[in-house]
Amino acid sequence: MAEAFERKHPNYVAVWIGLAVLTAIEVGIVYFGLTRKFLILALMLLAVWKALLVALYFMHLKFEPKRLLIIVLIPLPLALILVAFVLQEYGR
Amino acid sequence: MAHAATVHPHPEHAPGQGQVGVYTQKLGMWIFLCSEVMFFTALIGSYIILRWGSLDVWPKPQGVLNIPLTALNTFILICSSVSMVKAFASITHGDQAGLKKWLVVTCFGGAFFVSVQAYEYWHLSHEGFVPGGFVEGSELFRRALEGHIAGATGGAIVPAAANLFGSTFYTMTGFHGFHVTCGVVCMIWVTIKAFRGGYTQTGYHGVEVVGLYWHFVDLVWIILFTIVYLF
Amino acid sequence: MSTAAAPVAAPHHEHHEMSFVRKYIFSTDHKIIGIQFLFLSLVFLLVGGLLAMTIRWQLGFPGRPLPMGGLFPQTMAPNGIILPEFYNALVTMHGTFMVFFAIMPLLVGVFANYLIPLKIGAPDMAFPSLNMWSFWLMIPAGTLMVAGFFVEGGASSAGWTGYAPLSADPEYTGVSTGQVLWCLSLIVFALSSLLGSLNYITTVINLRAPGMTWFRMPLSVWALFITAILGILAIPILAGALIMLMFDQTIGTHFFLSASGGQPLLWQHLFWFFGHPEVYILILPAMGITSDVIANGSRKPIFGYHSMVYAIIAIAFLGWLVWGHHMFQSGMNPRLGTTFMISTMVIAVPSAVKVFNWLGTMWKGDLHLHTPMLNAVAFVAMFIIGGLSGIFMANTPVDIYIHDTYFIVAHLHYVLFGGSLFAIFAGIYFWFPKMFGKMMNETLGKIHFWLTFVFYNLVFFPMHLLGMGGHMRRIYDPNQYEFLQPLAPMNKFVSISAFLLGLSQLPFMFNFLWSLVKGKKADINPWRDNGLEWTVPSPPPHGNFAHTPTVYHGPYEFSHPQAAEDFLPQNQPLPAAPPPPEPGTARQETR
Repeated sequence: MAEAFERKHPNYVAVWIGLAVLTAIEVGIVYFGLTRKFLILALMLLAVWKALLVALYFMHLKFEPKRLLIIVLIPLPLALILVAFVLQEYGR
Repeated sequence: MAHAATVHPHPEHAPGQGQVGVYTQKLGMWIFLCSEVMFFTALIGSYIILRWGSLDVWPKPQGVLNIPLTALNTFILICSSVSMVKAFASITHGDQAGLKKWLVVTCFGGAFFVSVQAYEYWHLSHEGFVPGGFVEGSELFRRALEGHIAGATGGAIVPAAANLFGSTFYTMTGFHGFHVTCGVVCMIWVTIKAFRGGYTQTGYHGVEVVGLYWHFVDLVWIILFTIVYLF
Repeated sequence: MSTAAAPVAAPHHEHHEMSFVRKYIFSTDHKIIGIQFLFLSLVFLLVGGLLAMTIRWQLGFPGRPLPMGGLFPQTMAPNGIILPEFYNALVTMHGTFMVFFAIMPLLVGVFANYLIPLKIGAPDMAFPSLNMWSFWLMIPAGTLMVAGFFVEGGASSAGWTGYAPLSADPEYTGVSTGQVLWCLSLIVFALSSLLGSLNYITTVINLRAPGMTWFRMPLSVWALFITAILGILAIPILAGALIMLMFDQTIGTHFFLSASGGQPLLWQHLFWFFGHPEVYILILPAMGITSDVIANGSRKPIFGYHSMVYAIIAIAFLGWLVWGHHMFQSGMNPRLGTTFMISTMVIAVPSAVKVFNWLGTMWKGDLHLHTPMLNAVAFVAMFIIGGLSGIFMANTPVDIYIHDTYFIVAHLHYVLFGGSLFAIFAGIYFWFPKMFGKMMNETLGKIHFWLTFVFYNLVFFPMHLLGMGGHMRRIYDPNQYEFLQPLAPMNKFVSISAFLLGLSQLPFMFNFLWSLVKGKKADINPWRDNGLEWTVPSPPPHGNFAHTPTVYHGPYEFSHPQAAEDFLPQNQPLPAAPPPPEPGTARQETR
């Protein structure tokens, strides 16, 4: 399980432009007058998209061994469980 | 996203069996970042829970916080992430000049971010928004009251939610800012080492590892900016 | 964030003489760090024990002046009579010191540090400098915690669980600075713990010697590895919660103060989301040590090695889903109560698997009841009792009656003392020769064991009965309630047993300190064990192995039919299998 000899470098400038555009869209739609539900959904989607770009390309997760990806994913279900369970305290 | 694959030699030490397949310092940094995810989960999770569970309406962030300035700050931080990864790409090509240039840019980007945040804190607290909530009769309290988001109770803000807005805002962004500051200190250290010729085409692990921390801090901000400033 | 590359697999070191300070004080050698943790934590174990004795004095002889009580200041015990406020501090600090400064460092700080590199064939940890920081951060953490006793208002008094708003608002306890110090101390402690866990995980993944596959690792290493994973994920939650609490106490935030819109239950959820994985951190390494010692003392392979590993993983995994069982009576959503009840009952299963496997290991074994083995067997027996009482609490309706009573106190002490501490004793007696090159006295060890075992049970078993009688926790004067007055003699009995339990530790203290200087010189492998640590001198040199060992088989090859001895170190190949029987001859006995 040796580390990849080739250092794949994606097009960082393209990722940067993508991040800038997504940020602009995020800020823009706040003033669009969408219904609250749609706004939240759209913002969450955009934020996750940006986060994935940073994680997969800048942090190279796309090019790392699968085992590392599994390790990195472990905290996420735990975070979800904590928030999901405690939100049950508020029956809305 | 199209990407050009560039191939570089990367010498290996003998890997053991059943390993993850990354060198020890990188593995260590990723595990540390897992713990950081949990740390921010506590803070951000609490924010989500307190805000969702708040019977009172939440102040509209756009009325209280400076969205355009913070949007610019977000962009600068993203740029510093790009410069960081370009520094890393440079040293994998053996480009010492590129490494130094991009590391310096990253340091400045990080320092800029922290400075703007410090200014933001100073401005907000002067205008009446503090960790304890809003100062009675202050300008920001007035703006928070008029820009509220109608909630379950339909009425205006009562102090409780205003208090919690202060508590959660300052704690989350404060600790993020603290992490950025620590990152800037490490970045300066790495930059100095780079100027002293401490990294080579085959010995660049320190750059990659500090880069991972830097991107993580950027990633957390991407989430924070969205759910604190824009929601 | 040090990016200085640590020499990962190189057994060579600078040959210039290191100063005494670099070698023994600010050392980066995992063995020295492990021993530093050992000394520090034993001191805190003593502190925690003395706090317990003081609590028992009040419960056994309420309102009577403490012997030597005149030494206490007026704010704590005027004329030697413990004040209620001081009692709250005693109860809080006993729990805090024992959990964070005694048991955790003893199990993890000592054994993870000392054993992991040796047992996997590595020269040191992955990040030796970070490891040094991990120990030295315990000094400010411990100092801050002890300082609580010396500030105005006294030490933290909101229980080791620090429930808000009791812990957040000084108006409720009368303690202000002490509460803040408690938070600050634990935050520093959390950092120390995180650095340690980071090291253990990375080391186990990347630094195993050739041949040391995952399923050839000793169970102590597996347990410590999984424990470190629990730590790296759970402790940051505690850190976050403590920061929020500290902010409530100091800068005016309102996370947990309901008067200003905060949510007290949020503290409980955060704390126990950390707190339940925390209790598995407190027991899994103990189980790992027990497995190693029981296999050794039975001269048999561990029964069901693979299922032992899967059980550790299952316990760790399920441990994330049960935290609400600490909150059944908190007023949380009842639907959550049902969920947590089911998950809690499920988690008993992998623990039971482990218990049966230990029994299976001992069954028909060639039992050598040396001191470590006695302690390890006691672990199993006491853990069974502690586990069984847990089943009662897991049931929400039963818990309505026993929550916050001495039934809970009995349970937690059966698993933490009967469990963890006996395993710690087993570990200390077992690895002392390797650490110090001297044997501990076996006779004193057995005296210590039997006295401890007897008095320990006399202290904690009656607490089940006290609890069922309605005796609540953390209460200063039980006799104020008429229905508890008949229990006063039992309280007195428990207290006297507790004092005798305390005295029973003297043989251990004497044995430990005496043997350090005057103990019989230890052989390289006095317990005839298979671990890689027993293939190097006692104590091992810096860098551990002159040449990186090669591992040929698992760690529990005891009484192998073809082996010359009844043990077979991991760095020796398995003996050749016997030739298959000729057709028509008598069938050979199968293993």
